[in-house]
Amino acid sequence: MRTTFLIAADSIRSLLHRRLLLGLMLASLALTVAFSTMFSTARMNMDEGFIDRYGSDSKGGGAGKLSASDKREMREQMEMASSYFQTFFYVVASFGGSLVALFIFSTAVTSEIRKGTIRLTLSKPVSRTQFLLGKYLGGVVVMAGYALLASAAMLAFAYSEEFELSPAMQFAPWLMFCRQLMLGSVAMLLSLFCPPIVAAVIAFFAGNGFYSRYNPLFYILPSYGDFDLWSEVLTGNLLRASDVGYLTLYAADFVAIMLLLATWRFRTKELT
Amino acid sequence: MAAILAQDLCKTYTGGFRSSRETVALNKLTLDVQEGEIFGFLGPNGAGKTTTIHLLLNFARPTGGSASLFGRPVTETAVHGRLGYMPESVNLHDYYRGRKLLNFYAGLVGIPRESCSAQVTELLNLVKLEDAADKSVAKYSKGMAQRLGLAQAMLGDPDLLILDEPTASLDPVGRKEFRDILVELKRRGKTIFISSHILSEVESVCDRVVILQKGELKRMGTLQELSAGKVTLFRVRSLPAPVIEALAAIGAELTLAHDAATIRCKDEPLQGAVSETLRQHGVEIVEMEVEKQSLEEIFLSAIDEPAAS
Repeated sequence: MRTTFLIAADSIRSLLHRRLLLGLMLASLALTVAFSTMFSTARMNMDEGFIDRYGSDSKGGGAGKLSASDKREMREQMEMASSYFQTFFYVVASFGGSLVALFIFSTAVTSEIRKGTIRLTLSKPVSRTQFLLGKYLGGVVVMAGYALLASAAMLAFAYSEEFELSPAMQFAPWLMFCRQLMLGSVAMLLSLFCPPIVAAVIAFFAGNGFYSRYNPLFYILPSYGDFDLWSEVLTGNLLRASDVGYLTLYAADFVAIMLLLATWRFRTKELT
Repeated sequence: MAAILAQDLCKTYTGGFRSSRETVALNKLTLDVQEGEIFGFLGPNGAGKTTTIHLLLNFARPTGGSASLFGRPVTETAVHGRLGYMPESVNLHDYYRGRKLLNFYAGLVGIPRESCSAQVTELLNLVKLEDAADKSVAKYSKGMAQRLGLAQAMLGDPDLLILDEPTASLDPVGRKEFRDILVELKRRGKTIFISSHILSEVESVCDRVVILQKGELKRMGTLQELSAGKVTLFRVRSLPAPVIEALAAIGAELTLAHDAATIRCKDEPLQGAVSETLRQHGVEIVEMEVEKQSLEEIFLSAIDEPAAS
């Protein structure tokens, strides 16, 4: 186990030194900031619109003199706007995270083979399974960091803009994280058969919501669609904890199968 | 027990998905390296040296035959705990500093934390990298990277060192220091398998050598065995004219001086005939010598031999 953790720690160190990955993460965060700013501006415009619409009609009383129905309408519209922007935030963070995950996992092993550094590592008493699991674990830690960063950004965003988080958003970072680990496991497996870029593209599109859980293929092929919560966030639906638990189990089971297949392939792969 | 044993080891590369073209990188290589010896692995580029090393380290899978290290199949990870490997082009993780990188590899070898620091420092001193130990590996020169590569191979005091062109990027001083390290390791009973193009280097340290050409074993043996050539020289004080004629008739090469002569025989039948002729004419043989070949001559003659069908 110590060996796997050492490889994982080395993998994290390696990932944090990769400029392209850092660039991707920064771009993802920049997009999130851009959406936050857009949200802030749009909300201010909306507030001004309400004041213009209702404030001028109420003879100098402003929004405080609104009727109960006006207030309800204003609250509903504000909540809807909040849902839209939370959805945008989630979509951007999830998409950025997916790109980061694809980059990390599709190159985790192949970059070591390409550079030749894998040969020094595997000349030590390190099995290929330990190497592969260590590489995956390193990616998981970096993705967990990304999910935490996205959650912190979302909380800071909600606090600064004084809106309530949609109930579905409570689980969004976790399910986004699960989705990215699934994507990553598929990308890692495929990268052992084809070039990393091809592996990343196939992993991204394979099973993107094509399978329902009543279809047996759901348990074999990835079904990322269930981890996309944008409709729940948009409608403000509360996810049941059992659903989240079920999806977590599905992701864990799926990742385990992908890693088993990857191990099988990697054990026979030539490193020359 | 043999530290390395390869039996009928074969490796054939196929041209790819649509190609039926096959390249034979190694053809039925059989060799054994005994514990405690320094074994030289020679051959021109493309001879199959690195392929053999990759098969021994389980980086590639043989298409035929088998290989073992200390009696265990090369596919067993545990046996790697007894060996150190230094590749031809040392590609290191360049996001570490020298010392940290050795600490990482020491962890993989299973060196306890408490003794890790002392061993790493000792190895850095041995390869003369103590001043660059805390420098980023990305800033290392080729020679420095090669020294660090040697240090990582020696972590955990392995019983077997597999070195692929270990001095390719070293300057003459570095090569001399490297030879001294090898001699010291041999004194401590370590087994060293060294692939090299630098014949003088191999000649000065190796107990036995193998010469490989196009994936086939051409020669194997101690330097003494291999350098014992087929050419024999007879030295005599003087040769009367009839003897000169008789020797010339049987094809011996003569070098005549004022009061001495040398007769050169290319093979054993000629050597027998010359010996008989001299005896018949009552010529006294002052000295008989078997002409020795240098490793370079052995190497060149081996790779010039036609391939076995």
